Amino acid sequence: MVAGDEQRFDAALDDGNVPIDSRWDAFVRGLRRWWPYYVMMAPGIFFFVVFHYLPIWEAKIAFEQVRIIPPNIWVGWKHFETLFTSPVFWQVMANTLIISGMKIAFVFPVPILVALLLNEIRSGPLRKFIQSAIYLPHFLSWVVIAGIFIAALSPSGGVVNQITGFFGLAPRSYMTDTGAIRWVLVYSEMWRSGGWDSLLYLAAIIAIDQQLYDAAEMDGANRWQKIWYVTIPGIVPTIATLFILNAGMFLSADLNQVINLSNDVVRSTIDIVDTYVYRIGLQTGEYSLATAAGLFKAVLGMLLIVVAHNVSKRLTGKGVW
Amino acid sequence: MASRNDRRTPLERTEYAIIVSAMLLMVVVTVQPILNLAAISLSDPARVPRMSGLSIWPDGFSLDVWTLLLNHPNVRQGVMNSILITGAGTLINVTFTALMAWGLSRPGLPGRRFLFVMVLITIVFEPGIIPDYFINKRLGLLDTYWSVILYKAVNAWYLIILIRFFEEIPKELLEASELDGANAFQVFWHVVLPLARPALATITLFYLVFHWNEFFRAMIYLTDQSKWPLQVVLRQFVIGGDKLSMVGVQAMNQFTGASQLSIRALNAGMIILTILPILIIYPLILKFFTKGTMSGALKG
Repeated sequence: MVAGDEQRFDAALDDGNVPIDSRWDAFVRGLRRWWPYYVMMAPGIFFFVVFHYLPIWEAKIAFEQVRIIPPNIWVGWKHFETLFTSPVFWQVMANTLIISGMKIAFVFPVPILVALLLNEIRSGPLRKFIQSAIYLPHFLSWVVIAGIFIAALSPSGGVVNQITGFFGLAPRSYMTDTGAIRWVLVYSEMWRSGGWDSLLYLAAIIAIDQQLYDAAEMDGANRWQKIWYVTIPGIVPTIATLFILNAGMFLSADLNQVINLSNDVVRSTIDIVDTYVYRIGLQTGEYSLATAAGLFKAVLGMLLIVVAHNVSKRLTGKGVW
Repeated sequence: MASRNDRRTPLERTEYAIIVSAMLLMVVVTVQPILNLAAISLSDPARVPRMSGLSIWPDGFSLDVWTLLLNHPNVRQGVMNSILITGAGTLINVTFTALMAWGLSRPGLPGRRFLFVMVLITIVFEPGIIPDYFINKRLGLLDTYWSVILYKAVNAWYLIILIRFFEEIPKELLEASELDGANAFQVFWHVVLPLARPALATITLFYLVFHWNEFFRAMIYLTDQSKWPLQVVLRQFVIGGDKLSMVGVQAMNQFTGASQLSIRALNAGMIILTILPILIIYPLILKFFTKGTMSGALKG
């Protein structure tokens, strides 16, 4: 509340007629003016404390030995040591980094391309039609998308194997193929967000000064030159911001996606930190170890996002928040 | 626009054709798998096994799959649970988010910066699944609808979007009604809410879609199957491959032999059923989400 006190104090000084020693009066006046707002905000603040701050306190079991009869025993970094010496954990970290890396390399450019192409389509109704179709997958749950992909990739009657069959290729069971499953993650992510994410770039393109295009046209620039010399430079800040934001999410390779597209055959290939936490925590009951892994990810993730935010602010003047 | 078209050379027209085709290809790739499932769910169950993944038209029209699904107790219960969780959850979300955003949008509010930092911290630091689980356990929420209804009662991102919107309301309007003697709540109710209708619609849709699609929390918090929302029922069936519990032994006997296929058809039907509410509100989503995302998400 320190900042608030200062503000009120400053306000009191600005009034001119309030002596320094009447901070209490200023406080009372502030209270009289602002208490209704605090009453209105109370439920929201309450839920923030309960569902966001109490879990942080609860995370202390990462440093404890859970006992059936409380209290738990404080064991310090023991679980973290177990974690860092566990080959499974490092496998899981490697999977997470590989999957995130593949997504950045192959999924990230897609919405940029989509936005550039979409912007070239001058017919309003056609453009609307395309947009309504390609935005749809963003609003489907991963359970549904996994269902759609399992059907589309099925070796018997799935559309993908039917098409590859045309070209004489033998049917493959992509969902149970350790060599293919990471690409299934990449492609399903592309399918889900390739269209929708283009919206942010489209917003940036629309904000570009039309005069720049007119000037380029006057100079005899063709379509591609206008894209290259006007549009792309215009959206570079957005690209940078979103790239950095994505980098900030590097350690969350999307729990919901993986948990639904995974199965016994391919699990070890796409097991990520979050699915590992879920499995050893809620399925095997090693709460402390799981929380330790979760905390490790949370702290690293926080560092990444804060660094990303600051880099973004410096480079483009736009932060993540 | 017309003058531009006149100046088009054949090369430019070809380029345009290529661009349009590329986008239309994307449309096909996006929509075809969904239409295929819809077609399968409406086909004659006996013909489903031989149906092509390419077709988007039912092979021998039949409502068998839908009749079975819509009369199935687990599915009906799932639909009811989803509606309850989504409805109650969204109502709570929108009310509390709007009230909190109103306070935080007032520049002079004491402690405003502190609260902002408090909200931002929750965006960058999430201690994870297990602590969340234990909080719900400790509060006695596990295995109750409340555990999923109250999850993320106020979403930090949506809160920020709404604060930004409220901040853009002209100060004169607020001050005028304050001078008329309106209290904070009256200003909120009579001035802010009517002006913020598009923003409220946007976050309402955000929350609706979020709740309808939520499955992970429901899966770990609700052990009692009769409380499962549709997404978890779908997951059990399509991804878990738990056909028996879904169809029931008797129905299973009816279908096996003649048609292992019907499982494929039932899968397809379940997926389409789960998407249906999203498709119904999709026009609204397009109208509000698009604007909300463009203006809110990345300003700063």
